[in-house]
Amino acid sequence: MNILFVMKHRGNAGNTHAVANYQRVAPRHGHSVAIYGTPIWYVPELQFSTDIKDFDRVVYVFESDPYRIKTLHEAVMLTHFSRSKRLILDSDGMYNPVVNIDGYDFNHRNEAEREWWIAYFDAIGDRVMQTTVAKPANPRVSAMTFYGYNETLQVDPASAPPKQYDIVHVGHNWWRWRQVSSELLPAFEKIRDQVGEIGFIGLWWDAPPPEGPAAGPEEAFHSDPEALRRLRVKVTNAVMYHDVIHTMSSARINIMTQRPVLSHLRHLTLKYFEVFCADTIPMLMLEEGHAEAVYGPAARELVLTGRVAEKLLDALHRPDHYRGVVEDVRKHLVTHYSYDRLIGELVGALRN
Amino acid sequence: MRILLVVGVDPWTRSVSTVHKYAAAAKAQGHEIVVFGPAHWELPTLNFTTDLSDIDLALFVVQVPSDFPDMPYLATLLDGLPRERRMLVDMWGRFNDTIRLEHDFNHLEKMDGHQGWEWEDAMQAASDVILQPTLSPLRPQVGSFLFHGFDPGSVLRAHTTAKKAAAAWTDREFGALYVGSNWQRWEQVHRFFEGYRTIRDRAGKACLVGWDWDERPQWAEKLGIKGVDTDKAFLASVGAETRSAMHLNEVVERLGKARFAPVIHRPLFRHLGLVTNRTFETFYADAIPVLMLPRDFVASIYGEAGLALVPGPDLAAHLDDALTRAEFYWDAVLQVRGHLGRHHSYAQRLGELASLPTTAPRLGAAA
Repeated sequence: MNILFVMKHRGNAGNTHAVANYQRVAPRHGHSVAIYGTPIWYVPELQFSTDIKDFDRVVYVFESDPYRIKTLHEAVMLTHFSRSKRLILDSDGMYNPVVNIDGYDFNHRNEAEREWWIAYFDAIGDRVMQTTVAKPANPRVSAMTFYGYNETLQVDPASAPPKQYDIVHVGHNWWRWRQVSSELLPAFEKIRDQVGEIGFIGLWWDAPPPEGPAAGPEEAFHSDPEALRRLRVKVTNAVMYHDVIHTMSSARINIMTQRPVLSHLRHLTLKYFEVFCADTIPMLMLEEGHAEAVYGPAARELVLTGRVAEKLLDALHRPDHYRGVVEDVRKHLVTHYSYDRLIGELVGALRN
Repeated sequence: MRILLVVGVDPWTRSVSTVHKYAAAAKAQGHEIVVFGPAHWELPTLNFTTDLSDIDLALFVVQVPSDFPDMPYLATLLDGLPRERRMLVDMWGRFNDTIRLEHDFNHLEKMDGHQGWEWEDAMQAASDVILQPTLSPLRPQVGSFLFHGFDPGSVLRAHTTAKKAAAAWTDREFGALYVGSNWQRWEQVHRFFEGYRTIRDRAGKACLVGWDWDERPQWAEKLGIKGVDTDKAFLASVGAETRSAMHLNEVVERLGKARFAPVIHRPLFRHLGLVTNRTFETFYADAIPVLMLPRDFVASIYGEAGLALVPGPDLAAHLDDALTRAEFYWDAVLQVRGHLGRHHSYAQRLGELASLPTTAPRLGAAA
């Protein structure tokens, strides 16, 4: 099956990296995968195509803004792929009722916005897959893991980069500040003198996007650069998707956060899996039950919530123990989330 | 019949006037014209819909990319209306090999970001009946449908005789007035005013109404687009003033404030024989049209009488003669109006539209 993804593609975004993994394994299973568009010079390994007629199925990937291609191209796309050959992948929980987490993060600002999205999805296709481990309430929606674990990217400690950081957070500041400022920074404050370099690597930790409101809600990018400076947190810019795991491997501990609305909806992101490829100890700011559901029982020990400072110090002091836990989680991930397995799930959904 | 027009409507430009004429003509015949999309507050008399349940026929009217509906409406339309009920009229000759004439193109990639193949693929996606508003499409698989038409009821002052028309042809605010935007017409506009210069004192001041006549726009400079030229000093020297674009409802009345109303088609349209709204609409106005068009085109659209309104190489002499022998020229105008009413009414267009699904050529293979 030749599968075309219509999606916002960026070299520093998880969805793009996930599709790159599908591209990698697809030929082994007699399939091919491309992203609609023209090549990006700085990620030449990504396969793009505008030859719509070469493909059998299309997957529209929607994040929290509606990605659109040129209308003339869309006409060809819609004509070539009948509704039964289209699949919508909802990675940001937009095909849901309005979810507002404590007046902070939300999937829709209001009911009118939600209705617009639902109409948009319904116009494109009949099947919506959400990247969640929860069972969707809407009968038109199915859950799909989509993001997977690429064992070949696992970093061998012998070839890992020097540990420049004790603790690092790799990810953009997109609805993260509340959790970071209320749980993580107070913990840093307690243990700052006992910890080496701390880094935040990603966009919008030091300033909101230059494009202003067009980039999204202002509060999604809110941060306090001064607080980060005071705690001697080094902020550096985002890295390309193929450097994420290497970058994570430059720290003894990686902290994984998730935006509140996706956490509430139990959505997965690629970061769930990338962090376990890195030569590091992932510490998860996730709800325990959810962490266990995704990673298996061993992961409970990696959950930070409620005991951040103590756990961070413990991980720094007992790295061998935690490496053992990480190995247990990796085994679980290899069994359940390999892309060789996931492409079967994807093709099955597209055939169904 | 319930006919759906799929077209971007803008009260200031392109085919909006024609769409209104279709709506009125259909109503008079017991049919209904609806326009696809959400209601447009500036166009309250048009019926808009996204309900496709009772649509007998849909016509995509394509001039610019935004004539294809935006998502999600496009999906609603393409999934909701069977292909055999869809036709497309390619108003600007996009469904051709790339053609360049002077500075004019049918594939204006710099302007709209689309190459020829993109237009062809999109049009074939919409329908296998592709029509063009010309009597002689270049490609055999393209049908002829002029789309625009003439509504005798819209003639502002329907003089019964040329004598009466000529007698009333006095005291005009302008000697000549052209309504249309500055897009690939400068050479012809220049030629017109060069001729007009010699009769300006007798006929009165001239006026250009439309976008970008006062100066070459910055976007054209930035994109390196030619054919959007103007010459302020030249226009001043012939006493021609410029005014910004006007609403569709004002065009005919404004044209009637002048003695002469030139009809100018951009080079691409001349080459392809494409008609525009102004091809017909100018004859509603109480002015003598000056048909700056190929003679064979004029004869085929306006009838033989129209040839009297085509200036020869000496445009000044033509205008001078019209000032001197107004009745002769008004006789031609009235004959042309009669011809247009007989051969190009909207009632006829609706009849043609209804028969096109069975008579128009179809593309060999579905997209």
